[in-house]
Amino acid sequence: MTLLRLAIRQHRTGLVVMSVLSVVAGALNAAAFEQLAGTTPAERALFGQQMELLGRQLSYMLPDPVQLDTMGGYLTWRAFGALALIFAIWAILASTGAGRGEEERGLTELWLAAGVSRLRWLVTRTAGFVAVAVVVLIVTLGSTALVCAAVNDPLPVGGLLLEGLGLLGLMLVTFGVGLAVAQLVVTRRAAASIGAIVIVVLYVLNSASRSGVAIGGLSNLSPFALFDRSKPLLPQGGGVDVGATVALYAAALALIVASVAAFGRRDVGGGLVSPGTKRARSAWRPSPDPLLRMPVLGMVDQQRWWLIGWTIALALLGYFLASLGRAIVDGMMAIPSLRVYFDRLGINAYSDFIGVLWFGTFLFIISGLAIAQVNGWAADDGEGRLEAMLAAGASRSRVIVERIAALLVIAGVVAAVSSAVVFYGARALDIVVPGDRMVAATVDVLPVVFAFGGLGAALVGWRPRSAVVLLGAVAVVSYFVQQFYAIFQWPDWVGHLSIYQLYGMPLSRDDWGGIATLVAIGLAGTAVALGAMRRRDVGA
Amino acid sequence: MTDAIETKGLTKDYGSGRGIFELDLTVNEGQVFGYLGPNGAGKTTTIKLLMGTIHATRGSATVFGLDADRDAVAVKKKVGYVPGELPQFGGWRGTEIVAYLAGIRGDVDDAEVERVAKRLDLDLSRKYREYSHGNKQKLALLMAFAHKPALLILDEPTSGLDPLHQQEFYGLVRDARARGATIFVSSHVLSEVEQICDRVGIVREGHLVTVGPIAELLGAKAHRIEIELADPSAAVLVARVPGLEQVQIEGARVSGLYRGAFDPLLAALSGQRVVSFVSREPSLEEIFLSYYR
Repeated sequence: MTLLRLAIRQHRTGLVVMSVLSVVAGALNAAAFEQLAGTTPAERALFGQQMELLGRQLSYMLPDPVQLDTMGGYLTWRAFGALALIFAIWAILASTGAGRGEEERGLTELWLAAGVSRLRWLVTRTAGFVAVAVVVLIVTLGSTALVCAAVNDPLPVGGLLLEGLGLLGLMLVTFGVGLAVAQLVVTRRAAASIGAIVIVVLYVLNSASRSGVAIGGLSNLSPFALFDRSKPLLPQGGGVDVGATVALYAAALALIVASVAAFGRRDVGGGLVSPGTKRARSAWRPSPDPLLRMPVLGMVDQQRWWLIGWTIALALLGYFLASLGRAIVDGMMAIPSLRVYFDRLGINAYSDFIGVLWFGTFLFIISGLAIAQVNGWAADDGEGRLEAMLAAGASRSRVIVERIAALLVIAGVVAAVSSAVVFYGARALDIVVPGDRMVAATVDVLPVVFAFGGLGAALVGWRPRSAVVLLGAVAVVSYFVQQFYAIFQWPDWVGHLSIYQLYGMPLSRDDWGGIATLVAIGLAGTAVALGAMRRRDVGA
Repeated sequence: MTDAIETKGLTKDYGSGRGIFELDLTVNEGQVFGYLGPNGAGKTTTIKLLMGTIHATRGSATVFGLDADRDAVAVKKKVGYVPGELPQFGGWRGTEIVAYLAGIRGDVDDAEVERVAKRLDLDLSRKYREYSHGNKQKLALLMAFAHKPALLILDEPTSGLDPLHQQEFYGLVRDARARGATIFVSSHVLSEVEQICDRVGIVREGHLVTVGPIAELLGAKAHRIEIELADPSAAVLVARVPGLEQVQIEGARVSGLYRGAFDPLLAALSGQRVVSFVSREPSLEEIFLSYYR
């Protein structure tokens, strides 16, 4: 029981974050449906018809839209469709932490030395995740059910339980993927990166299939496709695809069993497959790479492979979105009410939509990059690198300024390359995006990154261990405020609480006030970080 | 002789009696100073205060006349440092770590890096995570010695080093000392301190309990004695002599650490039949332990 309790304890941050995130997503979407869909059958039918037209254009991102005039149909599409990906990413992080992160910290060796078998170690880690995942699902589905009941649109309990069953199956498969990858590579970072790539590929397989791209039966390999086949919350004709659900659990079991077997065969601290490392020639002098010795660029250079990975991934995503741009925009503009809505927002050209589609997605992802950097800053302290930098003569202020500058350089490179891909990809589809506006929209990404960097630096200076969670909360709140403030007709100042909303739509028009606010947030965060860094103890 | 390190009433109070308290300490230029104490005594806290990575609750510390906290950057230019807990550099290669940290420092000669790396037999081509604990320690030593600092602050510097490389480390210390560097070293290895240090300070529960030249500590202030008497009942009388510490009685045999002049002990033995009497200077280890028993 001690082992299981410790395994559950390892997931406490995930438990809190995922519970809050999914409760907010479920409850807000339920409340939004009530707000948007109207109350009479005719209003709901019209709403459902229009949303289904919109939903078909967004099938690269969300499940096929079915019965969107009902609470069950709307939540299946809008809430649980998006949560499936978020849960999958969490499962990857949790599994690579359990499968490799604890090994990196020496905990696994300690327990094995204490007489715990490898089988028991990995099985309790898995059981701990299952227990936490079940709690998250109960909280998510329970809170959603409560909101639905409060607005007199209750969901069937049986349907909710079956929805939870599907989500749990999906989480277990992705947990299994992460656990299996963690047996192959020797660092958690590599395991999480490769696991995330596998999950994104599986997600894109399903997206491509939904979007009508001919990929044959390949989509059946995607757990997201198997999950999508069950729609237990639909009031008419909904239910569980038993075969698909069994396949999900069977795949999860197979992956976990394979991982346990691999863990039994490999060395602790090593990978299942040793690539036979080519021994480099002995070296006695420092690296001749001049970038390593330069301020700011030294920090960037350390992360060159990471930077290249992000740049390629976002360039590919940009190309994918740009290639769908014309079809998506045509579909949206075919919906009369949406055309009126977009006209009011001043969005009427293809290039405007590219701005909304691409930069809307890009900002959210690039804030993930900023949060990952902040995580590295917090780790610098915990793992002694900050002390090493200070001992080498770097001032505390220099560390803060260099970190933020390096973040801006990294984000700038990623933004520039991916924007160029989107720009030329759109041009190939005869969508002319004004070059000057594209440059402005790309440059305006930097104040968003600066705001996240400044806040992150301040949080690391104040509470290094909680910085990532708190900054993640800023991103999530920003996302939800941006998504829902117009729907709920919240006042403008609430909208301005969202960092993404402050970015505006620079591909369509300038919003210097928003950009100035972002810069001010970045500066204020940096100032707080400088003060906190001077006052705090390092490595104590 | 000027002071390389001077602390006045230096205190870092973590609460519950943890930290370092009212530390008054002076280390002169060119000295090799050993800082001894068990785990949790406050050695690393003192070192972090000298390095300016943590802030004092009260009191002050200066390094070559510079405030260790306020002038931390200027202090670091003169200091080579080996931390007690080694940093983690993951997948970086040794060459990259050295280049990056040398870039921050700015005054590191690549030829000196090569000389020290070869001396320590440290291959910089390998990834940090592939290094053994001993090799990680060597890398920390390399970064401390490579810029020929005026002051070396070393926290448990031989941790993880094999005996051969411990000897190389002693050689590096001797060379640094020969060029006039000051060395402040904390260690659990008392034979090592005995071998390389001029002065020693012993810290216990956050307080400096003694400080002085090592020769003085090893000298006449205390003696390890072992006395065997003909009459076992007399052993108890001898054990009560003031100045006798760490007393052990086994039958007619009494042993312990004796401080002060021998007159009271000889007076207690007068009239007794003494089978054997051995008195010798204690090792540093015995002196060290005498502060904890």
